[in-house]
Amino acid sequence: MPPWARTALSRIATAALSLWILVTLTFFLAHLTPGGPAYAILGMRATPVGVNQVNMRLGLDVPLWMQYLTYLGHLCTLRLGYSFLLNQPVAHLIVMYAANTLLFTSLSIVVGTLAALAIGMVQGASWNRWPGRLIGAWQLATYATPSFFIAGMLVLVFASTLGWLPAGGITDAHMTEPGPLSYARHLVLPVATVSLIVAASLSRYFGQSVAEELERDYVRTARAKGLGLRDILRGEVARNALRPFITLLGLYLPALFAGSVVVETIFDFPGLGWLLWHAALQQDYPTLIGVVLLIGALTIVGNLAAELANAALDPRLRSRTLA
Amino acid sequence: MSPPLLRIDNLCVRTRDGGLLVDDVQLDLARGEMLSLVGESGSGKSLTAAAILRLLPRGLVATGRIAFEGADLLALDEASMRAMRGGRIGMVFQNPLSALNPTRTIGRQIADPARLHVGADARQAREMALQMLAEVGIPDPKARIDDYPHQFSGGMRQRVAIAMALVCHPKLLIADEPTTALDPIVAAQILELIGGLRRRHDMAVLFISHNLAVVRAHTDCVQVMYGGRTAERARADVFFAHPRHPYGRALLDAAPDLATVVAAPPGYALPALPGQPPDPLARPPGCAFAPRCPAVAPDCEVAVPPLRRLERSEVACLHPVATPAGPRVPAPEAPMSASTHSSRPSLLEVRDLVVRYDRSRTILDGLSFDLAAGECLGIVGESGSGKSTLGRAVLQMVAYQGRIALQGHDFATLRGRAFRDQRRRIQVVFQDPKESLNPRLSVLHSVAEAARLAQGLPRDASLAAARTLLERVRLGAALYDRLPEAISGGQAQRVAIARALAAKPALVVLDEPTSALDVSTQATLLNLLRSIGRAEGLAWLLISHDLAAIAYMADRIAVLRAGRIVELAPPATLVAQPHDPYTAALVAAATG
Ligand SMILES: Nc1ncnc2c1ncn2[C@@H]1O[C@H](COP(=O)(O)OP(=O)(O)OP(=O)(O)O)[C@@H](O)[C@H]1O
Ligand code: SF4
Ligand SMILES: [Mg+2]
Repeated sequence: MPPWARTALSRIATAALSLWILVTLTFFLAHLTPGGPAYAILGMRATPVGVNQVNMRLGLDVPLWMQYLTYLGHLCTLRLGYSFLLNQPVAHLIVMYAANTLLFTSLSIVVGTLAALAIGMVQGASWNRWPGRLIGAWQLATYATPSFFIAGMLVLVFASTLGWLPAGGITDAHMTEPGPLSYARHLVLPVATVSLIVAASLSRYFGQSVAEELERDYVRTARAKGLGLRDILRGEVARNALRPFITLLGLYLPALFAGSVVVETIFDFPGLGWLLWHAALQQDYPTLIGVVLLIGALTIVGNLAAELANAALDPRLRSRTLA
Repeated sequence: MSPPLLRIDNLCVRTRDGGLLVDDVQLDLARGEMLSLVGESGSGKSLTAAAILRLLPRGLVATGRIAFEGADLLALDEASMRAMRGGRIGMVFQNPLSALNPTRTIGRQIADPARLHVGADARQAREMALQMLAEVGIPDPKARIDDYPHQFSGGMRQRVAIAMALVCHPKLLIADEPTTALDPIVAAQILELIGGLRRRHDMAVLFISHNLAVVRAHTDCVQVMYGGRTAERARADVFFAHPRHPYGRALLDAAPDLATVVAAPPGYALPALPGQPPDPLARPPGCAFAPRCPAVAPDCEVAVPPLRRLERSEVACLHPVATPAGPRVPAPEAPMSASTHSSRPSLLEVRDLVVRYDRSRTILDGLSFDLAAGECLGIVGESGSGKSTLGRAVLQMVAYQGRIALQGHDFATLRGRAFRDQRRRIQVVFQDPKESLNPRLSVLHSVAEAARLAQGLPRDASLAAARTLLERVRLGAALYDRLPEAISGGQAQRVAIARALAAKPALVVLDEPTSALDVSTQATLLNLLRSIGRAEGLAWLLISHDLAAIAYMADRIAVLRAGRIVELAPPATLVAQPHDPYTAALVAAATG
């Protein structure tokens, strides 16, 4: 077997193993909590007979380990099961809600990352001096503020006080109801909240990386060639500072997906976070596990993508990866 | 007489809090001339060079006058200054790997100055880069121009860096220790290259180096710096025949010179310079060299001696050295024990040692040698010849085939505790002392920790042992509580040696122990190692590419090439009749 195939195989095996652990953990944690979906469906006044009926219909009357094996078996054939709560196949639900989240988070990431790059560049070039320090203070402040507070402030100013934008509340997950323009208006505040958080934390990393690169010997060489600071930042430093940044981005993005739970819930935006939240509340574990799995898979894909992007940027890694 | 190309007057470099790092330096450099700045670490050579291009580290300020081609560089606006950098003045730095951007092709990096300063478009700039690559001796430039720095060897990278500095044909090249990181043969080639380019383009060179043999062989003028000031300046032949400043003289004496070292009688010790370099923040009122000067007199400590003309030199000293630098007078030392290595029993036995990486690349290819107790075996060889791998194999740090036995016990037959105990009897000291010390442990605790680990001593006993060891490497008690960051490279290397000795080794592997140090520190350290080795009957395996230093230390020298020992002989024999062509080249490079 060629070495690259062996590497690829071991990567895939590791990924599969971590996904399996994730599924198992979520499955048992969800089942350990008292109550159960039957109560969630029938309400707290449910009669034992009714609960039994529901449990039978949902396949919850067999021992836990059998439910687990059945679930695993279904997973292996890519069947995620049926949502107790919304009475739809989990796969359908996830696709529908994920599309919303995807739009919302990718917009936030694009806006946030672009801002982070610009801010980080300025900060890195003036590290330990005034624009840099001011930016640093802003980053720390934003970082220390909980996202619900940021969201709340934005709502207070732009929705409640100024009345420019809606505070949230798209009820139809298909997004057909309010029409595209209204949909876009509904997106502004959630996107602003997340972009702000993304920009604050990512710009710090990028700023640091730029500052570190500026200390390197090759920058001194570049200055000795007569290049100015702008040329050096653009032509020499940016690319090298991007490499650690991209690794970080790969790790950070899935966490961001998970982090969108809070923001989506606050703005009542029907995305994956919203789905995860409600599934957890109602102990709708097929949906719960489905969402968790998706986030796990995204983490792994994100890491892999970062590795590949880095290899493309760095000729030293490139030859090593290909060799 | 035409004005010099570069003329520096009253150059001072200050820190924000008033520390004077470079103090009133004068420098003249004529068109096409090569001047060397020499002096120990921290004497202000690099800061002087950086001040010319106005590339001082942030927080340092230069004052004075730096006239270049009629312009005062310190008074130029930033745009004109940028036009100077890389256009009229090129600069090459010490470490050729880190000085190049790892993620841009060398072609683009070389083309930058051409685009910036002579308005070449991309095609023309590339053409100029190709031409320059050919000129600095990169074979097949067309095929290499789109390669990245990591695809070149150290020497080739330095050629690339030179091409980059010279692509606009500047009239001045500043080279700050361009060859220090290279092995001596490659270094000699780089110097040949600089010399050739200098003549061809009528270019002046300001050269900074620790290596006096190199300076002697290649430069027109020498300027000695000490404690941020000029101690002496003269034409090279004048300086080397008769250094007038006691520091210049000490520097010259401390440098191991191959011919002297090999011809010296057994008791010969390098005349090392005692004491520490001055602290730029706490200067004495008089001559900065006074605390270390053998000729010091009461008037020296009153005022800073000015630079005065003395025959054909200029010296900042009230009592200049009167006698020319004749053949060296060996200083007396305790006589060596009578036994020679051939009669002593073998301590380390290496037979048919083979080391391979990745199953296919053979690094060491069947080495055999013996090392007696108390003997020092020197290992020389070009970079990549396997010197450090040999050291690591002896230390049991890489997998190998063949037999390595210490005191008759083959490592391959030992297991568990027996193996570890035996392994501990071989210690190592690496090139970069600070890297190998725990940054959070003080000097004393660092050594005590080693004593505790190796000998299982309780806390008090290990501290006592550490004190004894530190005395043995002659480190003053004032340093015991300092952290590694607050001591000099030479001092850190002594701490590393004390740590190695704490394990009561029979053999110590020294991998380039002095190549990060300057001449006078190196001499002190070499003398120390030699006297410890003799007093304790310790054996050394000394790896270095400095042939003179090795010839001084070693009883025998093994020359390594492509993983084999091509020659194994006592220094005198090796230098007098080198058999292998590589040895001959090494000897030639070391004698300049
Ligand atoms: N950025 C800085 N801030 C404060 N002091 C500095 C700075 N850079 C250098 N120095 C000090 O200035 C003095 C001269 O340094 P310089 O680098 O010119 O020495 P050098 O002669 O080139 O030494 P070496 O041979 O080790 O390269 C030293 O005492 C050093 O510690
Ligand atoms: S001035 Fe005095 S102390 Fe200084 S170098 Fe000369 S003799 Fe030595
Ligand atoms: Mg220097």
